Amino acid sequence: MPGYLRFENVTRRFGSFTAVDRVSLEIEKGEVFSLLGPSGCGKTTLLRMAAGFDVPDEGRIFLDGVDITRLPPDQRPVNTVFQSYALFPHLSIRENIAFGPKLSKRSPAEIRSEVERMLELVDLTAHADKKPAQLSGGQKQRVAIARALVNKPKVLLLDEPLAALDLKLRQRLLVELDAIHDEVGITFIYVTHDQGEAMSISDRIAVMNKGVVEQIGKPAEIYEAPRTSFVAAFIGDTNFLDGKITSRIGERFSKCAIHGIGEIIIDNDKPTSPGDLVHLSLRPEKIIVSRNRPELRENENSVPGVIEDIIYFGSHTRLWVRCGGWRICAETQHRTYQLDDTPLNWGDTIHLRWHANDGYLLEQYREEDESLLTLPDET
Amino acid sequence: MKIRKPELLATAPSFLWLALFVFVPVAIIFAIAFRPALPAGRIGEGWSMDAMRSLKDPIYPSLLLRTVLISFFTTALCLALALPVAWHLARLPPKWRARILILIIIPFWTNFVIRVFAWQQILHAEGAIAETLRSIGLLGETDRLLGNSAAVIIVSVYTYLPFAILPIFAAAEKFDFALLDAARDLGAKPFRAFRSVFLPGIRQGLVTAILIVFIPMLGSYVIPDMVGGTDSQMLGNKIAQRNFNDRNLPQAAALSCALTLLVLAPMLLRRKEKTA
Amino acid sequence: MKPSRIPLVTTGIVLAFFYLPIAALVAKSFNSSRFSPEWKGFTLKWYERLFERDDILAALVNSLKVALIAASASMLLGTCAAFALHRYKSRLQDAHRMMVNVPLVLPDILMGMSLLLLFIAAGVSLSLATVTIAHITFCLSYVTLVVLARLQDFDPNIVEAARDLGATRLQAFVKITLPILFPGILAGGLLAFTLSIDDYVVTFFVKGPGSDTLPTLVYSMIKKSKELPVINALSTLMLLFTFLLVFASQRLTRPVNR
Repeated sequence: MPGYLRFENVTRRFGSFTAVDRVSLEIEKGEVFSLLGPSGCGKTTLLRMAAGFDVPDEGRIFLDGVDITRLPPDQRPVNTVFQSYALFPHLSIRENIAFGPKLSKRSPAEIRSEVERMLELVDLTAHADKKPAQLSGGQKQRVAIARALVNKPKVLLLDEPLAALDLKLRQRLLVELDAIHDEVGITFIYVTHDQGEAMSISDRIAVMNKGVVEQIGKPAEIYEAPRTSFVAAFIGDTNFLDGKITSRIGERFSKCAIHGIGEIIIDNDKPTSPGDLVHLSLRPEKIIVSRNRPELRENENSVPGVIEDIIYFGSHTRLWVRCGGWRICAETQHRTYQLDDTPLNWGDTIHLRWHANDGYLLEQYREEDESLLTLPDET
Repeated sequence: MKIRKPELLATAPSFLWLALFVFVPVAIIFAIAFRPALPAGRIGEGWSMDAMRSLKDPIYPSLLLRTVLISFFTTALCLALALPVAWHLARLPPKWRARILILIIIPFWTNFVIRVFAWQQILHAEGAIAETLRSIGLLGETDRLLGNSAAVIIVSVYTYLPFAILPIFAAAEKFDFALLDAARDLGAKPFRAFRSVFLPGIRQGLVTAILIVFIPMLGSYVIPDMVGGTDSQMLGNKIAQRNFNDRNLPQAAALSCALTLLVLAPMLLRRKEKTA
Repeated sequence: MKPSRIPLVTTGIVLAFFYLPIAALVAKSFNSSRFSPEWKGFTLKWYERLFERDDILAALVNSLKVALIAASASMLLGTCAAFALHRYKSRLQDAHRMMVNVPLVLPDILMGMSLLLLFIAAGVSLSLATVTIAHITFCLSYVTLVVLARLQDFDPNIVEAARDLGATRLQAFVKITLPILFPGILAGGLLAFTLSIDDYVVTFFVKGPGSDTLPTLVYSMIKKSKELPVINALSTLMLLFTFLLVFASQRLTRPVNR
């Protein structure tokens, strides 16, 4: 089945800069689909083309089987929640929400009841006659959502809708947004640079970088099985290791020689054969830290190293550990039964242990993506 | 409330100067309008209603109407031109914005009399424009470009347009153009979005622009004098005529009173708007 | 969504509308034909004739005298007023603000007329002095606005930083506030200078016999249709002077904006 909203080889250039480069996406009806990437990755341009504020240089966009590539924004069954909210400052909350319905020539009674229903949905009935300037950031945000939803769009586009809010409010509104989606069942396209937001609200995510979609998948797939070094480093934090496959261990596992560390066991996430050069992503929280050399079970790895940096995060602590030529980030929880007798300190020698399953072989590796890591190796 | 000495010291110079040379003189206008006129431009003792009564002269209603109409059309034309220019400026990248803005302002640092004189020559019967219009039959042999209300309006627009552009631009610069996207997104056609979102958004700039053009226009004197004819004289010309030709100061003062009230009207309207 | 072309086209037309009359004037000043607008060859004779006229020179001197005094006086008064308006919030300042604003909206002819009546009522004979007083009056408000705008952009933390680093109140004012505000004050003075040089209407009402300024002299020459090509030449020189002044003021205000 072709997607409900479909981008076909969409390209958009600004001068010599290619903002969106041959992007094809299929978004299903009713899902929350996120476009996730750093600023300048082309996600907002893609959204603006879906809304009709911009027209692709190449490629086409279909909505529910209809080509909407060149349809002006006022004729598209699509509405946008703007990053700055873009509430009309001279109109009351109620008038803001009624703006769209009034243009659609519905009967006044119908408009009124629809607007009231929306005010209730976003819990702003008490503020209906205020001007936008009198509302808090979170309330403005809800007006923007109501103003878009009241038009019953086929797709709701949300452009960094929470970016202007502080952390706690952002988390609360995210839950509210999820509840609204469950209630109205409209397709949401959610643009954000915040991986946490994208992870928690999306059915599927498209990770974008430099105008290209790097990977599309469910949040867990994106996190656990990143296709490229960019995805691995942009979403969460990770360690990159590279080495050479030396031999196979049955169907699933192989041995891999890492320069300066020795041989470790890896999962064959992609087809490999001895002699291949591979890149491995190993997330910090997959690593278990201990002072003493651990007892290894089948397909587990252990590497000794010296602590170079310690950063306390409250819920966990991160250690940067020097292992041969590598600097590996590992995460430890603070649970009483895991604590060693003495706290870890700079210069301590410790052992890092992980299961071969927990490393992931990247399909594509680029050195520049190292810079996305929290504390990359200085050298 | 106790006013402190430093405040008094800082306020007094400008306050007293303005009181003496703005407020007292305006009050004197109203006083002299009720004095009798003597020959050779002198003002008599005692009180007289002669000057005020002279305002009943049947030439004044049409003069007043013409003054308001010419001011109105000038203001309307200025707005019609200033809106797209201000829009364009606000959408330009800052570097270009500053350059175009300077280009708009520079001509108006040049001498006002000379600017009007330039137009007088351009619209002159033997000028290039008149010749061209005549050769393509748009202008009759005896028709003139100078000496009518249209010439007054064109030259007034030339003079006041930058003063209309600047406040509208200042408002448009602060306007969030994403609001127009939002309006289009919600189903508004381009013109509808312009009318129901952009215009209300720059409302304060529009009001300032209207006042800044309309009020001085009411007191216009040089432009009708230089490019207008006998049937395009405005209130200001009459004041000057009573003053310098007829040497009847009380009548000139009475006309000035009328003009003051005319000028106050739009300002009072604005006061009402601000409090509303 | 294609952006409309109307704003761009209008801007182009407006700029042409602004510059064509000026360009025509400049071109004419070099045209040897006396009456006809046709081009009859390049000449500088109107400029020669211009420099032979003593009355123009005298009017120019008058204009410069008035403008210099008016600009200096309104710089002083206006800076003072701006400081008061910025620093204090009181009834007095509300009234003060209103008084500063009134000359901005008062049509020139009313200002000229009212000052004329004041001088007559007070028995002061009209001269270059009355012209100067009138000019100070309308320049004052503009200077106040310019300086006030500068004061509002002024970051009060800077003064606090100076005090924190050990400056006395006076030192902070002299070493920090004044230097930062000075370009603004000077820009206000420059504006006052051009407004004064430019004024015709108010001057016409309050000038005495023999106290013609350049605009009033030019105006009467135009009205009498005397020596129009000489006026073209004079206008061209004045334009040149204005452009130089604008250029200078741009240079003056730029470093502070950055």
